[in-house]
Amino acid sequence: MLSRVADSVFWMARYMERTNGTLRLLRTNYISSQDEVQDFSWQPLLRSYSDAPAKEILAIGNDSPKVLEHLLLDRHNGASVFNNITRARENARAVQDHITKEVWQCLNDYYHLIRDKNIHVQLQQGDPVTALDSLIYHGMLYHGTVDITMARGEGFNYLNIGKFLERAILSADMLNIKLTELNYNLQQPVEVPALRYLLYSLSGYELYLKTHRGNFQADQVLQQVLYNDNFPHSVSYCLKQLFRYFERLETESLPESYKQLEFLIGRAMNNVKYSNIRLSDSEGLRNFLHQTRQELFGIAAAFNQYYFGNS
Amino acid sequence: MEEHSLLANYNVQPRVWDEMFGKDGIRPTYRNFVSAIQNLSSDEMTHKDELAKKLFMSQGITFTVYSSGEGIEKIFPFDIIPRILEAAEWKHIEEGIKQRLKALNIFLKDIYNQQFIIKDGIVPAKLIYSCPNFVRQMVNVEVPFDIYTHISGIDLIRDHDGTYYVLEDNLRTPSGVSYMLENRSITYRIFPDLLPKNNVRSVKDYPDLLLKNLVALANRQKSDPTVVLLTPGIYNSAYFEHTTLARMMGIELVEGSDLVVDNHKVYMKTTTGLKQVDVIYRRVDDDFIDPLVFRPDSMLGVPGIYGAYRTGHVAIVNAMGNGVADDKAVYSYVPAMIRYYLNEEPILKNVPTYQLAIPENRKLVFENMDKMVIKKTNESGGYGMLIGSAATEKEMESFKLAIEEDPRSFIAQPIISLSSAPCYINGVLQPRRVDLRPYALYGPDGIDIVPGGLTRVALKEGSLVVNSSQGGGSKDTWVLG
Repeated sequence: MLSRVADSVFWMARYMERTNGTLRLLRTNYISSQDEVQDFSWQPLLRSYSDAPAKEILAIGNDSPKVLEHLLLDRHNGASVFNNITRARENARAVQDHITKEVWQCLNDYYHLIRDKNIHVQLQQGDPVTALDSLIYHGMLYHGTVDITMARGEGFNYLNIGKFLERAILSADMLNIKLTELNYNLQQPVEVPALRYLLYSLSGYELYLKTHRGNFQADQVLQQVLYNDNFPHSVSYCLKQLFRYFERLETESLPESYKQLEFLIGRAMNNVKYSNIRLSDSEGLRNFLHQTRQELFGIAAAFNQYYFGNS
Repeated sequence: MEEHSLLANYNVQPRVWDEMFGKDGIRPTYRNFVSAIQNLSSDEMTHKDELAKKLFMSQGITFTVYSSGEGIEKIFPFDIIPRILEAAEWKHIEEGIKQRLKALNIFLKDIYNQQFIIKDGIVPAKLIYSCPNFVRQMVNVEVPFDIYTHISGIDLIRDHDGTYYVLEDNLRTPSGVSYMLENRSITYRIFPDLLPKNNVRSVKDYPDLLLKNLVALANRQKSDPTVVLLTPGIYNSAYFEHTTLARMMGIELVEGSDLVVDNHKVYMKTTTGLKQVDVIYRRVDDDFIDPLVFRPDSMLGVPGIYGAYRTGHVAIVNAMGNGVADDKAVYSYVPAMIRYYLNEEPILKNVPTYQLAIPENRKLVFENMDKMVIKKTNESGGYGMLIGSAATEKEMESFKLAIEEDPRSFIAQPIISLSSAPCYINGVLQPRRVDLRPYALYGPDGIDIVPGGLTRVALKEGSLVVNSSQGGGSKDTWVLG
């Protein structure tokens, strides 16, 4: 496979995963903005998902329609969902002969959907949840289309590597955002709504309830987001999947490239696996999340260098 | 009459050949089709029209227009009414194009080697050497199987009596073939069952034929040579076509930066290192293909690829330097080439062409400018053109000045009216002018022409310009079996 093609497929998957993550995050946050008017603030999210200068972010303030407009549709916000979908589509366009026609059409339709005036009108005057739902729904359609139509070759492997790498980063990021909102101070015994919203955003609330029978504890949320291998958004699960798809590349890799990446992914996996993070150690938790993110970025950089030929 | 409601307002212009209406009413080729659609309500027709647009949009068969910093997706206008050709007409066209291509191909071989045609006084040397598309680097280069014009699109038009004329030969990188294929796949969605009922010949073999020819050009003794399609990238207006063809042939779509040349061999950069490339179907123009030999500022090409080609390590399709054969001034010598190389009479006519480098021609043309089309010899896409009947005095004067300054770069042709075909526009069937571009594939086993081609249509009423850049659209083209 051409290095450029592998690169594009990888990024297409990353942008799509990021799109899904951002949309779900926005949906939960919007709902909480309607529910928890007292403590709610959009600022932590804006700081992470906007590349606008701090001044502009402050100006947007807590005005939900404005925030949604900025994070979803603003063409000038490099991290907006609109730009994510556009970039996913541009990448898909450049590799149209390596993804199936169905996947391309699905992405193309997604692009036309987010450009549709109705989405804008829904956000501003109608029900933003409806708009977000239709976008999330289309994202799921994409994942289904990939699963059903794509051949299980090199392209599919890069697609999944991109997807799980991005998902691991997102989960670590979202956890970090929530914990930052709480100043990493989790020793208060009262229930923390922020963590419930975190589970909503990661589609993990139902799993939590089933596992813990309504006993809501911050520590257990943390365990699920980091370590639960049955939870498709946990950092541990994502890394295992990442490694699984990476291993399939072995026969199609230069031996030295494979070795480099195997080392990096293996190290990241083990660092998560053999960590023992407790809420009481807020400094340790902060460092751990920081280190995990750095290792994930390191893996992405190594793919870029050893497999995509960009040094 | 109620039953002909769709056709009620169809007015054929005088002295224009209409593809559907003859002097005895609807021509036999169209009868089946018309009887199938004439009773459809205008709502149903409009619905079909909208369905076609939606299909193009969702399949991403679009080109991007950049305005105010943001790309806007547009579809190439498609008219739902097919253009229909009968078997005998097609046979005539097919034979004519094959003959023409044979001669043009020998001409290219000759002009870049011994130049008998110049020595025998058939074509003036001055005409060839003054042609900006005569590529000196191609002189004495050995080309695999002596084939230069692997893929060509020959533009045909019909005069008021129905005679076919060749308007242009496109021998460099003709585009539009994907629209021939896509238009067909849209037609069977909007007119279910009509294709088999009319016994329309299939066009779907095109990618297979093309791939067969490309594979045959590989130089290495290898059962599975590497064939790639070289595209200028996603911002090229024909990018959709490049991806479609690469996908249909199952070959790699590469950009210039994906290829490197080492020791006169071309490699592509893959995740497992470098892999040698044997055949390149390039959609990058001559000027841009190798910055070391042609335009040094080109970012689209591959440095050193010309050397690899010259040494025979890679085959490039189409050959470089073909522009000398489809130059608009050289065009007027094609009938002479057919006689000279093949000793045959041309089957398809040329449009009479006046080279303005000849003073008598210039005088004649200036006196009859309102009946002439003036074209720049080196431009296409409907640019650099003046249609005398529609031009103002001022435009004519400025063309005259330009011609006096550089007469070699202009030719003149009498205005040929172009046939009209029915189009469904704004809820009614109206005649619009069309041309026809069949695509010919020249391989080691001979020439194949897929039955059909691209019918381009001037969607503006009264317009004679069918180019997509000038408001033209396209139609599906049926050849009946």
